[in-house]
Amino acid sequence: MSEIPLRSPDDVMRFARLGSAHPTRLSFLRQLVRRAARERWRVTRPVWRLDDAGFGRAVYRVATPARIYSLVAFSTPLDESRRTDRVIAQAWDTSYVLYDGEPCEAELDRLEANAPRQEAGRYGPRDLVLARANKSVRLFESVVAALARGEQPDPDTLAGVGYLLRTTAVYGNGKFGIADRAGVAGRPELAAPFQAEMLAVWLIRSFTLDLADHIARRRAPDRAAALAPDLRRRMGVGNATGLGMAPYLVRHPALINNWFLARETALARVRNLPVADAAARADFFAALSAMQRRVGAWTTLDERLSAAIAQLRSDLVRLAEAAPLRLASAPLPWNALYAFAERELGFEAQEACVALLIEPHGDLVDALGDSMSADEGEDLRIDGAISCAQTAQALARDFRWAFATDFSMRAAQARFWYVSAEKLEPRLGERYEEDGAELELPVAVARDMQAFAQALRAEPGETPLADFLLRQPQWRHLARRARIAARCPYSEIRENLIDAAMRPVDILRAKLAFFGAHNFDPRSDRWLRIALFAGEPMIEEMAGARDADAAA
Amino acid sequence: MIDVSLNEVESLAARVARSCGFSHGLSDDVARAAVRLAAQDRPWGEALERLAREAARFAAPGEPGGRPLCPVRLGAYLLDGGAPDLGAAQVGLPIWLGALVEDAMRASWVGGDLVDAAPVRLERPARTPPPTGTRATISPARRDALLALAHKIYVPESATSRARGAGGGRVDDE
Repeated sequence: MSEIPLRSPDDVMRFARLGSAHPTRLSFLRQLVRRAARERWRVTRPVWRLDDAGFGRAVYRVATPARIYSLVAFSTPLDESRRTDRVIAQAWDTSYVLYDGEPCEAELDRLEANAPRQEAGRYGPRDLVLARANKSVRLFESVVAALARGEQPDPDTLAGVGYLLRTTAVYGNGKFGIADRAGVAGRPELAAPFQAEMLAVWLIRSFTLDLADHIARRRAPDRAAALAPDLRRRMGVGNATGLGMAPYLVRHPALINNWFLARETALARVRNLPVADAAARADFFAALSAMQRRVGAWTTLDERLSAAIAQLRSDLVRLAEAAPLRLASAPLPWNALYAFAERELGFEAQEACVALLIEPHGDLVDALGDSMSADEGEDLRIDGAISCAQTAQALARDFRWAFATDFSMRAAQARFWYVSAEKLEPRLGERYEEDGAELELPVAVARDMQAFAQALRAEPGETPLADFLLRQPQWRHLARRARIAARCPYSEIRENLIDAAMRPVDILRAKLAFFGAHNFDPRSDRWLRIALFAGEPMIEEMAGARDADAAA
Repeated sequence: MIDVSLNEVESLAARVARSCGFSHGLSDDVARAAVRLAAQDRPWGEALERLAREAARFAAPGEPGGRPLCPVRLGAYLLDGGAPDLGAAQVGLPIWLGALVEDAMRASWVGGDLVDAAPVRLERPARTPPPTGTRATISPARRDALLALAHKIYVPESATSRARGAGGGRVDDE
């Protein structure tokens, strides 16, 4: 019997699937949780100096086998008129630095002089991550009030929001002077993508919950309750994510290839299993039940996603009904279930099915997490000895999807991506209504690859690519993309990213699912809110974790 | 002096290179070369500012006229496997050529890091790269000058773009 292949990039790298992505056990926060449990990371709180209103500083110390990391947290008063989730904000309720080691008092003072100012501050090589978070005004005070009365907050209200604070930016990799990723990427605990950022957010989660307990206790020392452990575990950290993340995926083709390739390889391995043993079936149904509970509580004001969630709920019921028979069928029972999902269910449920199939098979797939980083230095190399004709052939082979769009249509070029002078962040402009298209970011890969191919065809076929690029250096970045695409099948989002109908939230969701986000809540077609770590164990539990799977 | 990360060097250099007319691909080459210079504690900031100022007076290999060769376009061509006959041609700001091709070959010239232009001798294989640091420094004034250059590739807000927005709501009321 022939092997079930990986799903085609022509299928996977489309908005319909990117915008339906679900986190899997390969998601970055799940990788971090497993490692922390396996290595029994130990968390203590050596500094907790907060006043009655919860303002002051705190330090969470994390001992891993090789190193110590510290989350330094500052909680400061925030004038209500300055409260905004946008990245352009200038003041926040809380600010954070993930510090490499244990900060002394002088270092804490240095961080306190800078972290609350965020981008306006300067940071050093021991500062690994910089972040800030605002309270969920709706929920934070009601939780504190309930705890101060000695009561637990309403679980349904908690579930409806899913977090007490939400981050509005989490910066890593050298921004504003913090440590470069290259300097720490060799550490096993930080080798997978975004592990330092995930660690910071995981610790921020504990701080937000401890902060609520603290204020309630100071408000009513005699009768205040602490948030119950099961409710703590349900809460995550919110995040508001806008357009800044979208060009990142285009800018890092080899990296995103490795993310998708790992997930698709995991799925293919499971689909090719000859049997579904009892333990794996039990784990699958447990994961399905957990997903049904989560999806049951998933709400959004976005009409399009609301409809998709409604269909997902009914599709998950159908999946649960179909699974016993499919998983008992031989050969390739997991593939039979996936084929059912692909044939009978919507994209949301199909991508949910991907996560559910992978979930019981840690032994088979978890090592793929090690392949999700990328050494992008190699990506700058160009083989200038190949001819223009060979390059054009490679484009025809690897960018066939890019040639499907007719860019003479106005709608196909309706948008352009740029960096805003005021915000210094990527933005999306309307080409026919706004100025600035001449400063467009190189995100329109489909359009530009068509133009590159046309320029190559205008050359004598035998011309070496090096000679061509010497005369026409405007194609140089595309020659690099072409070289990457030849070996990285999932390196490109196979859509027109400047089309009038393009929805950036589809791209954002795909990236956030790889982070491990749940509760996607689009607030427009350009930004959304999510929760990270909701339902995951608290980092303080890791020291006593019996094994990684139990913890995760 | 300001202590900066190498990622900041890379990002700033790419934007400055774009602002003075280099293509996206060549700007990535400049960025990588700037990181090399910075990590070797060489004058990356001054070299970058001069590149931005002088790029327009350089010629690409093969172009007519008596202008110095552009170190970026020449370096990229060499990296791609091109084999130009340099002879005694003057190469503008050869520090950039040396940094661009460092992995593949050794470039040497007379006059030091910040010489305006000089004939360059190329040898393969590359020399053993010098030890590199993990941080860089730059003066506040030079950083401001480079940030001002980088600003040229940003798009000012318009009434339309402001109205469309991109991030969260103005007031977080939830």
